[in-house]
Amino acid sequence: MELSLSDQLARLLGGNLVSSGDGHEIDGLTPQAVVRPVDRLQISEVLSWASSEMVSILPRGGGTRTGLGNVPRKADVVLDLGALDQVLDYQPADMTATVESGVTLASLQEQLAPGGEFVPLEAALCERSTVGGILSVGTGGPLAYAFGLPREWLIGIGVLNTQGVATKAGGKVVKNVTGYDLNKLYTGSLGTLGVIVEASFKLLPIDPQSGALLASFPSLADSIAAGRKLIHSPAAPMGCHSVTSGVSRHLQDSVQAASQDLGLGEEEIALTFAFFAGRAKATGRRLEEAAALLLAEGAKAVQRIEGPAAKGLLRWITDVPIEISPSSDLVIKISVQSKSAARTSAECGEIIFSGEKPEQIVDPGFGIMRLFWPMPLDSSPSGADTTQPILDAVNQVRQVAHRYGGSAVVEQCPLPVKRQIDIWGDSPDSLAVMRGIKDRFDPSGILNPGRFLGGI
Amino acid sequence: MDFKQFLKGLQAIVGEQNVVYHSDDLLVFEYDGSVDRGMPDAVVFPSSAQEVSQIIKLSRRAGVPVVGRGTGTGLSGGAITPPGGIQVAFPRMNHILEVDTENRLALVEPGVINLDLDTHVRKFGLRYAPDPSSQKACSLGGNIAENAGGPHCLAYGTTTNHVLSMEVVLEDGQIVNLGSLARETVGYDLRGVFTGSEGTFGIATKIAVRLLPVPEAVRTFLGIFPDVESACTAVSAVIEQGIVPAALEMIDALTIQAVQKVSDAGYPDDAGAVLLIELEGLQDEVDEIGEEVEAALWDTGATQVRAAEAAEEREQLWVGRKGALGALGSIAPNYFLVDGVVPRTQLAPVLAAVADVSVKYDIPIANVFHAGDGNLHPCLLFDERKPGALDKIVEAGTEVLQICVDAGGTLTGEHGVGLEKKEQMPLVFSTDDMAAMVLVRDAFAPANSLNPGKIFPDGKKHTPHAHPAAPGMTI
Repeated sequence: MELSLSDQLARLLGGNLVSSGDGHEIDGLTPQAVVRPVDRLQISEVLSWASSEMVSILPRGGGTRTGLGNVPRKADVVLDLGALDQVLDYQPADMTATVESGVTLASLQEQLAPGGEFVPLEAALCERSTVGGILSVGTGGPLAYAFGLPREWLIGIGVLNTQGVATKAGGKVVKNVTGYDLNKLYTGSLGTLGVIVEASFKLLPIDPQSGALLASFPSLADSIAAGRKLIHSPAAPMGCHSVTSGVSRHLQDSVQAASQDLGLGEEEIALTFAFFAGRAKATGRRLEEAAALLLAEGAKAVQRIEGPAAKGLLRWITDVPIEISPSSDLVIKISVQSKSAARTSAECGEIIFSGEKPEQIVDPGFGIMRLFWPMPLDSSPSGADTTQPILDAVNQVRQVAHRYGGSAVVEQCPLPVKRQIDIWGDSPDSLAVMRGIKDRFDPSGILNPGRFLGGI
Repeated sequence: MDFKQFLKGLQAIVGEQNVVYHSDDLLVFEYDGSVDRGMPDAVVFPSSAQEVSQIIKLSRRAGVPVVGRGTGTGLSGGAITPPGGIQVAFPRMNHILEVDTENRLALVEPGVINLDLDTHVRKFGLRYAPDPSSQKACSLGGNIAENAGGPHCLAYGTTTNHVLSMEVVLEDGQIVNLGSLARETVGYDLRGVFTGSEGTFGIATKIAVRLLPVPEAVRTFLGIFPDVESACTAVSAVIEQGIVPAALEMIDALTIQAVQKVSDAGYPDDAGAVLLIELEGLQDEVDEIGEEVEAALWDTGATQVRAAEAAEEREQLWVGRKGALGALGSIAPNYFLVDGVVPRTQLAPVLAAVADVSVKYDIPIANVFHAGDGNLHPCLLFDERKPGALDKIVEAGTEVLQICVDAGGTLTGEHGVGLEKKEQMPLVFSTDDMAAMVLVRDAFAPANSLNPGKIFPDGKKHTPHAHPAAPGMTI
């Protein structure tokens, strides 16, 4: 009798590293096994075995974004990289660090802090999110306006290819044009080209002072317009976000004191959040000038928050999408040219699904926004099919995004909808090159098959 | 197809006046800024992506390799044409198509000169941050091919951090778009991996770059030090205080002497090192951090510290640094420039080891470098007329690169591998590492007909030719 995948893996690495795939369901598919190698050699063995047996591998970091991606064509084995969690090399004076991919963002920042530095990566649930996962997804966070995307900070990478062979690109120096910049290729490739095992980053010094502003506006449009003015002023924050009242209600729970003065709880109040950091005096000046600007632009009230509380708010805005998503039927992330953020937000805000307009988190500086359509409260037991209305909403959002030169990624939707769409949207004219790369890197199609753009 | 037919075909695409093929006219296209040469059979000046596409298609049919050329300022032989190849150059595609101040981006053609773009957008209170020292002459297309750096990439990153999207022509003549004007794009980051691919993936015909606001205040500091070691200590002292200056540049004693021979930059003759530090930001920041920088310079042994905030005075402080390479001509007729990078903390020991190489080979080595990011530029000075001089230089240069690699660094920080360092790639990358890179090239250009013979070792030892140290040269 043929051995199960789980048994084959146990034979390969020992049973204690292999567990059942129960509870690791992805889009209705339950993997046969989860394997958690303790070192690169073991990962390499898993990959070369998987290649020869045509077993599909789903690399996993902290598991905070496993829902992102199309429905996999096959989901045989989850490759848990969490055991590779060491900081391998950190030289504060070089302002660089080399780490294993399974280290969590929180743990990494903690280990860099004594050197007075941090890595400018951002991710929700930083106690769980791993460096490898953040790189694979490749997207920015609330301070993307200042920090850009993870691609800007990755200077070197170690990857195991589908045969389990170690390859690297870049290095440990901050400026490097030796060979092709494969750092950029792996970042944002959703684990479809190889398994990231090591990464080197350029770091930044921790700013001595941080501060935040919360301002309430009569409408989201007013909040976004003020945000645009703010980021183009000398008092520009590192990041600025406008949120609808349904989003700020979550804030109300966590920051009681601030919310009362801002008049939260009233109907239809939009909130602007702006984060600042730097030297004490300059940060003070920015906070002051920015507060004045927001008031002049029609803010009803402005709250200034400094020190650890400001960082707490930053953490809140980073994590809030995860808080809202479970009660949403449809979550779409849009990226457009920043100048079109206001119009995109306004037009998408009118797209109604099951009687509800979406809640929004908009970054008017970076041109990113997330839209959340809540689950209908009275979802009738008769089980009226919501598939078509959701598909309609997705199409409408995409039309708006395209009109403003951008894209719309469906981050969350019911499975029947997901089966009918490419969650990444329409394929660009360079898809053939992308496929060419995938076919060469993963000829048997074992890594996250089908989950990426265009079914890659 | 014979060459005559091929030429006719090129002329039919771009017009007779836009194809150069007489050997006299081709002479300037034999060189770039490196020590290499290679005469193209023809140089073509297209005016649109469609023309580039037709040129590439025709060349493919004729089996002719195509090399994209910016303005020939490259320092690794990236634009040197292989035998039987042609060049596509962009003097006619040199338009700034759009400046979008709201979105802070510019849309340009590949032939636009880096400094021209920066000067133009400054009218709107914006800037293009990557500033290779050749920025008066180098083009955006070339900057993309090499992922060009510059003094200010310490704080702002290199070209790759500023390119949003491009329209490129692939080897089969297909015109595709990479990246997007929106900051997050879907799919693989092809724009990222294209940048720095040294013209081997395709030819960019339209480029969108990010612009940054001009800072409220800029202040430049110049510190004179008795030796390179103390200047390196100053660099560490500044970084340790959590300061990331906009630029952090150094020149050593031999360079100082050369600079002073050519024009008085105001350096004392016995100065061992000159350190330049530039701060940018809000006036409050520049004031506060400026005081700390100045104190750090004095504390680490500076014998003089000068500071300037007005543009003209700052320019004065930069004169010696910017004219350094050209000035080396006053010491020796030729130089060979190395572009190694090391971790910042390794600067002092690596420079000491480079000095040992200088003694061992009896070759004067002048150092002009981006101290902030550990990017060295040792210039090996020589006279090519002396028999065997060039061979000795290449050997010493390879030894310098080995020192950089041993210190945890790499072969090239901003000049590219090109022809010059392809045989040294195995010092840094394994066969498997390079195989992965070639897979990507195969996806873009399966026939390897665009700028072939670059980057990867092929056992063909290229014989460099000496380059005269000319006053206009910059790094």
